[in-house]
Amino acid sequence: MNIPYVDLAGQNKAIKKEILSAIGKVLESGQFILGKEVEAFEHSFAQLCGTKYALGVGTGTDALTLSLRALNIGHGDNVITVANSFVSTASCIALSGAKPVFVDVGEDYNINSSLIESAINSRTKAILPVHLTGRPADMAPILKIAEKHKLAVIEDCAQAVGAEYRGRRVGSFGKIGCFSLHPLKNLNACGDGGVLTTDDENLYRKLQILRNNGFSSRNDCDVWSANSRLDTVQAALLLVKLNYLKAWTDKRRANAQFYHEHLASLAQIKIPPEKPYEKSVYHTFVMQAENREQLIKFLENKGIGTKIHYPIPIHLQPAAKSLGQRKGSLPVTEEQSKKILSLPIYPELTAKELNYIVKCIHEFYGQ
Amino acid sequence: MKIPYSYLGRQFKNIDPYLKDIGRLVKSGDFTLGKDVAKFEASFAKLCKIPYAIGVSSGTDALILSLEILGIGHGDEVITAPNTFIASVGAIAMTGARPVFVDNNEEYTIDVNKIEKAITPKTKAILPVHLSGCPADMPKIMEIAKKHNLLVVEDAAQSILAAIDGKHVGSWGETACFSMHPLKNLNVWGDAGIIVTRSKELCEKLKLFRNHGLATRDEIEIFGHNSRLDSLQAVVANRLIKDVVSITDKRIANARRFDEAFSKLKGYITIPPRRKNVKQVYHTYVIQAKNRDGLYAHMLKKGVEVKIHYPIPLHLQKAAKYLGYKEGDFPLCEEHCRTIITLPVHQHLTSKEIDYMIKCVREFYLG
Repeated sequence: MNIPYVDLAGQNKAIKKEILSAIGKVLESGQFILGKEVEAFEHSFAQLCGTKYALGVGTGTDALTLSLRALNIGHGDNVITVANSFVSTASCIALSGAKPVFVDVGEDYNINSSLIESAINSRTKAILPVHLTGRPADMAPILKIAEKHKLAVIEDCAQAVGAEYRGRRVGSFGKIGCFSLHPLKNLNACGDGGVLTTDDENLYRKLQILRNNGFSSRNDCDVWSANSRLDTVQAALLLVKLNYLKAWTDKRRANAQFYHEHLASLAQIKIPPEKPYEKSVYHTFVMQAENREQLIKFLENKGIGTKIHYPIPIHLQPAAKSLGQRKGSLPVTEEQSKKILSLPIYPELTAKELNYIVKCIHEFYGQ
Repeated sequence: MKIPYSYLGRQFKNIDPYLKDIGRLVKSGDFTLGKDVAKFEASFAKLCKIPYAIGVSSGTDALILSLEILGIGHGDEVITAPNTFIASVGAIAMTGARPVFVDNNEEYTIDVNKIEKAITPKTKAILPVHLSGCPADMPKIMEIAKKHNLLVVEDAAQSILAAIDGKHVGSWGETACFSMHPLKNLNVWGDAGIIVTRSKELCEKLKLFRNHGLATRDEIEIFGHNSRLDSLQAVVANRLIKDVVSITDKRIANARRFDEAFSKLKGYITIPPRRKNVKQVYHTYVIQAKNRDGLYAHMLKKGVEVKIHYPIPLHLQKAAKYLGYKEGDFPLCEEHCRTIITLPVHQHLTSKEIDYMIKCVREFYLG
């Protein structure tokens, strides 16, 4: 059996006709930049997240970059985040001129809120928690700390569209929520895309200007900025995909449930349990495995694709050398990076495939 | 007669071949970089007769990435003209550097005789803009750059295929930056840009820099941006690049007809100098008009959608306030802002439409 780690072709084949017809409609209107499909998508996305506003931008990375800029964070500032995320969480901070300060994570792969306060100093301007793997970070203590120290909270929701924390959707807790619509995400464009959420009207107006070269009208430029717009053709096909998101998320959760149940008996596998007050959307299904490297090879020989998200923590990357956080400074992050392994979790997986994956893992550990 | 400025409806009357290509892409799931992007980069480099081309997400990003990868940032100054599109200056500001303006000449490009006076110990680069599709005086700019040890980045957003003495734009600077925005001579269905360079080293660095600094899937060499040319847009571009020579020829022919007719309106219309060794590609057809606002209103009334590129000099924009410029600093730019007008010049104009526009202009002045 051949089970790739991701199967984009599978998802898109099923809705190809709908996608092409949505693109065709944009063509007929000749409106390729912003316009009605982008607005419709923003409206639906805000509704989905339970926020007043949503704003389509070029990428998830740009969503973070624009958020920092909108909050005037840059040279000389510190932003607290985690090192086990995708690189753009940290690079957008570094490219803004600010310094990423990494705090260790908990068993849930998310920021350990009890370690945040000791990382705060007079330069700290914001906390940037990541809802990694599609699982919400523990927002209550984070918001409390932010309030106490007057820090902004920017949520990195790149992997977590639709995830819930105490009944509320991610992206509705911080000043701004930043989502990615990259092809590998749960809600995915056929190319790069991103979207921001906020309840703050002033921030929303500012971000509208910032994503569009600083224009407040056709000819008036209020502030220098870049150009980072969600493509209209992508918005059109995202509107199609939004109709499927709930079903896809349910299927991801069902797949995860299956793994939880069928791998629980293995002492060599550790899977962080979902807490009662959270709803993960399982962008990735990340377990910790003994003998990981051999397991990867074994599964590969069985035709099963796996990935590691991510094998080298950001603070140990060549790019982070100048930040000064050495090996050993984030023990949990570093320990997890040696054991974590992501199994295929996409909605198109069949029961047969799931059974086969579980069977092969049991076989590897000799049970 | 109604002559809209945008021609997208005419250009994409038959979209079936495009949708067929996109359908293939959607089915393949190859949405991030990949073979369509590589194919377009190779064709574009060949077209420009420059060894390397790197697809990015917008013309603005092409400039930002170029400047940043050359090490330009906080504390540096970059010289450009104040009569350009906002993005030329936005890009400089985004790097953290300070934009320094030099007045433009009668051709609407930077006045090379005024550059040296603007150079300070902080100057790191010159960013000439080939505005309207007319190349700036690159040989002279390179002479100045060499003398003062400055870098040159060409803003070629509006000037694909423009040339001096047969040498294409992009032949002089460290890089040249193109836009493929829907209204450019080579246009796609959303935002897109491309950088060309003669340096293999810069090409490799830019490829890293546009893709999160990822040397491999797991290794981050530098903190980078996410600024990739979408595969979907590359698919469109791969079709259109076959037409770009004929598109350009048609625009040049249209501009010649305007020039000939308006040369008979001396005292009313000023046509910028047309140097014999320079190939202008007429992204816009911009002339100076007596009683511009009157002509502007007259043309609109006659159904001709004229434009002004651009009505507000950049040094007088709100965004530029902190730079401390004032009215009168760049007299030619300021005068042009009051006198320039842009007529549609695109490749889909019919002979009748061109005659009609000429007739409307003559009628306004001569009755």
